[in-house]
Amino acid sequence: MERVNMSQQKHEQLSAFMDGEHADQDLIKQISQDGALHGNWQRYHLVRATLRNELPPQIQLDIATSVAAALEHEPVILAPNKSRWQQLPLVGNVIPMVKNVGQLAIAASVAVAVVFAVQQYNQPVEIQPGNDGLGFGMGVQGGMSPVSLEQTQTVPVANQYELLEQRRRINALLIDHHQQMRLKQLQMQSQQGEVVELEPEQETPQQ
Amino acid sequence: MKWLIGALSFLCISAASAADVDSETDARQWLGNMAQAMQSLNYDMSLVILQPGGTVEPYRWRHGVIDGKTVEHLSMLNGPGRDVVRVDNVVSYFEPNVPAFSIHSTSINGPISGTLLRNPSALTASYDFVLVGRSRVAGRATQQIRIISRDKSRYGYSLWLDQETSLPLKLDMLDSQGKVLEQVQITSVAVTVNAEESLQNVDVANLPEVLIANPAAVNAHRWYAGWLPDGMEEIMRDRHRLPVTGAPVDYLLLSDGLIDVSVYVQPVGDATTGEQAFRVGSDTYFSTQIGQLTVTIVGKLPPQTANRIAQSLVVKVP
Repeated sequence: MERVNMSQQKHEQLSAFMDGEHADQDLIKQISQDGALHGNWQRYHLVRATLRNELPPQIQLDIATSVAAALEHEPVILAPNKSRWQQLPLVGNVIPMVKNVGQLAIAASVAVAVVFAVQQYNQPVEIQPGNDGLGFGMGVQGGMSPVSLEQTQTVPVANQYELLEQRRRINALLIDHHQQMRLKQLQMQSQQGEVVELEPEQETPQQ
Repeated sequence: MKWLIGALSFLCISAASAADVDSETDARQWLGNMAQAMQSLNYDMSLVILQPGGTVEPYRWRHGVIDGKTVEHLSMLNGPGRDVVRVDNVVSYFEPNVPAFSIHSTSINGPISGTLLRNPSALTASYDFVLVGRSRVAGRATQQIRIISRDKSRYGYSLWLDQETSLPLKLDMLDSQGKVLEQVQITSVAVTVNAEESLQNVDVANLPEVLIANPAAVNAHRWYAGWLPDGMEEIMRDRHRLPVTGAPVDYLLLSDGLIDVSVYVQPVGDATTGEQAFRVGSDTYFSTQIGQLTVTIVGKLPPQTANRIAQSLVVKVP
C-alpha cells in the first residue's frame, strides 16, 4: 500500500513538474536516476505532444537502445571457421606461399593448375566419379577451375551412358506393365477359348 | 471371483467376435450396394488421383443406362488426353500416339479396380472388409470401409461410400504404417434420372474394331513362381518384346482382383544391376538376380512381397 502511494505521489509530482508547477531539485535527481520514472517522463511528453497535435513527422523511437542490447547478447566470434579448401593439405601449403610472394605466386599457382591438368590428362580415364574428390574441391573453391572442367567432361561419359541405358530398361518395363494391365481382359478371354463368343449374352448389365 | 472374471472375459470375447462378424457382413452389404449402384445409376463424377510427392491426375467419369445399354466414359483431363468408352462389354481406348482399339471387357481399367467396383465378393479370398465409421467426403455423408490384406502381404485400403447412393467417393491406398501411397478422391458427383447427354450421343456403330488375342502367344516358360500371396492368381503368361528396348522377356501377369502384378524374367545381360527396389508413383519396381536370371516385379505391392515372389522362383530342369 505504502509503495503504491509512493509511486502515485511521484507520478503526480512528475505531472506537476511537466506543467511547470513543481520545480524540485530532489525530483529532478529522482527522474534522472529512476528508470521507471525516466520512462514515464518520456511517455508523458509523447502523450502530451500527441494530444496537442505537436508530433514531429517522424517519431524517433528508441531503436538504438534495442540494437545495442541485441549486440550485447550476440556471441563474440573469436576466430573464423576454417573453410574446407584451406584444410586440404596441398592447398593449405600452397596458400601461405601465395600470400607471401604476392603477385608472382598467382602465376605460380596457375602453373600448378596446369601441371595438375596435364597429370590428370595423362591418367587413364576413370569410371568412378567419386575418385576425383581432390580435383573437384580445388576446382570449385581454389581458383583452379581448368582441372575440374576437364574432369567433369571426361570421366562420367561411360557412366552416363550406362545410367541412361538402365533408365531406358526400367521405363520399358514400367510401360509394358501398364500395357499388360490394359490388355488383361483380352488375354484372359483368349485363354478361355470359346467363352469369347458367349460373353455378350452372359454379361448383360444388371438393372 | 475367478469364475466371474472368466465369464466376463468370455462374454467380452464373444461380443467382440460377434461385432466383427456384424461389421464384416455389414461391410459386404455396403459393397454389394455399391456394385449395384455402379452399374444401375446415371452418374457424372469428377475425380483426382493423388500420389504424395508425385502427380495429380484429374478425371471425369460418366456412366449411364440408355435403353438397357450401359455406356461409360472415363476421360483424363490433363495433358494430351486419354479417353476410354465402354458400351456394354466393348471397351474402346482412345489415346495419343496409339491407334484406337477396342477389347471385350465388362469394366474399364480405370483409377479404381473394376473387380472392386463390380464384383467385390471376388476379393474375399485376399482381403477382409471392415466397417469403420462415418465421415464427410466431397461434401456428402459417407460410410468408411477398411480393406485389409488377409496375409498382410499387400497394401491396405480405405474406401468411403456415399450413404445415400452407395457410390464410392474416396479410396486411399495405405502401407503398413498407415502412410497414404495413393488417393483417389471424387471431388464432385451428380446422380441424375437420365443419362448425361454426351453419353447418349456416343456413336456406337463407329467404335474401333475389337482386337482378338493371338492364342499362339501363349507359351510355356521354364520357370514358375513357387509362392504367391493368398488369393493372387496367375492371369496370363507369355513371351513378348518390351516396347522401348525391344528386349525379349518371359512374362507373367498376376492379379488378386485389386492389384495387378507383372513378373519379368530375362537372362542376366552384360549389365549386372544387383538388387533394385524403388517406387514409381504408387507402383513398386523390384528387380533382383536369381542365378543367371534377372527377375523384375512391377505392381502396387510392398517391396518385401515382391522380393518373396522373386525368391520363390523355381527354374524347371529341362
